[in-house]
Amino acid sequence: MTMLGDRQQLAYIASQAADARVNVELETEGMTLNIGPQHPATHGTLRIICRLDGEQVVWAEPSCGYMHRGYEKLTEVRTFPQVTALVNRIDWLGSFANEVPFILAAEKLMGIEAPPRAQVIRTILFELSRIANVGLFLGDLGVQLGAVTPVFLAFRDREYVLNLIESATGGRFHPNFDRIGGLKDDLPAGWIEETRAVMKKLQGFCDQMEDLLFGNEIFLARTKGIGIIPRDVAMQYGLSGANLRASGIDHDLRRDTSLPMAWNKADWKVWTHTDGDAFARCWVRLQETRESCKIVEQLLDVIPSGPIMTKVPKIIKVPEGEAWVATENPLGEMGYYVVSKGDLGPFRVKIRSASFNNMSVTPWLLKGVYVPDVITILASLYFILGDLDR
Amino acid sequence: MPKVPGLIKGLGVTLSTMLRTAKEGSHTIQYPHVKEAPPIRARGVIALHEGNCTSCMLCARSCPDWCIFIEGHKELAPPRRAGGAPRKVNKLDRFDIDYALCMYCGICVEVCPFDALFWSPEYEYSEPKIADLLHDKRKLGEWMETVPEAPELDAGADKKGKK
Repeated sequence: MTMLGDRQQLAYIASQAADARVNVELETEGMTLNIGPQHPATHGTLRIICRLDGEQVVWAEPSCGYMHRGYEKLTEVRTFPQVTALVNRIDWLGSFANEVPFILAAEKLMGIEAPPRAQVIRTILFELSRIANVGLFLGDLGVQLGAVTPVFLAFRDREYVLNLIESATGGRFHPNFDRIGGLKDDLPAGWIEETRAVMKKLQGFCDQMEDLLFGNEIFLARTKGIGIIPRDVAMQYGLSGANLRASGIDHDLRRDTSLPMAWNKADWKVWTHTDGDAFARCWVRLQETRESCKIVEQLLDVIPSGPIMTKVPKIIKVPEGEAWVATENPLGEMGYYVVSKGDLGPFRVKIRSASFNNMSVTPWLLKGVYVPDVITILASLYFILGDLDR
Repeated sequence: MPKVPGLIKGLGVTLSTMLRTAKEGSHTIQYPHVKEAPPIRARGVIALHEGNCTSCMLCARSCPDWCIFIEGHKELAPPRRAGGAPRKVNKLDRFDIDYALCMYCGICVEVCPFDALFWSPEYEYSEPKIADLLHDKRKLGEWMETVPEAPELDAGADKKGKK
């Protein structure tokens, strides 16, 4: 166990104290507050049951499953090419990133690898979907704290990225562009120059967000020191993605695993923060959006020419075996455990989505916080309901 | 440099956006009056070239939510050469796509071995009644007019592999 920062130590003690706190002076009757299932502050249908003592939450539990669509079971009755169309819908804001781990798992079972051109284009689209996803988070965060301007800016600039994804893949939200052994189609002419121009705009957007939102006094007051997740707790609850990195753990699957993708061809940095509070989580996401822009800009220069599909049979049968592939998706670690019995479709698929594990920390995290901070904390944890319930 | 208060900064953003909108126009368009031109590859609606369809059922079988309905029968056609045996041709009786079910994945267009299905970026076909979203082969054939040419590919693309 490494040293905790002073701030974290204090916050940890404070949260432990809130845990054990008994209100002896003023015996008040508890009240149960339901946040959701339909609530403007949840991005979908999630119910959080909070038991309050005055203004303070003493017990909280997320009740999820309102949007459960049974993807693990649905994949069992579909063929491998059909599954990519389904898994697009898991995390609907960064949908291309959902396809990649599944396709990589299937490719691993088949013992094939996408050609270098396809790998680089895959990585570019992966990072574009991260920008579209996390860019919207930055705007959404503002609106949850009462600032309306950021959400307009975020929607405006996300549109540029979605247009890029649409002109390359044909789908704005559900690209379904990844195929076992490569990609469906090659890039249209002029796409690379367009992407360069958009990346410039997006970096401007990040600068503006840092100035306008992250420099705002009200924003700082509402996020600094709120919802602190210490390092050990973050690891115990299995957090991933920016939530983990904001607690000071330097872990990024893009850098730490060797997948047949092109992240190692670019020069970029994994940002961490030592505080572990709501501000740190948002700040890490902002920096990540910047890094993604950098990755895309660098990869655009190194797209090799060549085919985009390896030789695969027309009717894909994946050989018997089991494979686990996880990637660093916009929300965190997303992985597929694919079991194949040599049929047209998978025998069983286990989907590990980031939001579900990130959500699991809320009963611990919401204990002892005030009601307005509940929204801040939920917004900063950043879950997408489709990803949470699958 | 002294720190600008957040309130002033926010008002500055509003003002600059307002001036830019007055000068360059807004980012949004007034939809029913002005129409957006989607990219060439946009998956709007599926068009059917009926002459190419052999009712092989590949698209109907590979559809992830089974929204394509095909019925067909075999007919005898006059032989190509005089004196030959009459040919058997597949006649398409019914080709329906239920757009209420379709999830626009494009697998049917991709698997079609005879180039009978195409994507068109057209998007204006919403209906007040959900049953009207079932497009029959006549309506699907009408979409053929809106199918654009495939876009030119990037310079680094492998053009030999493409048909």
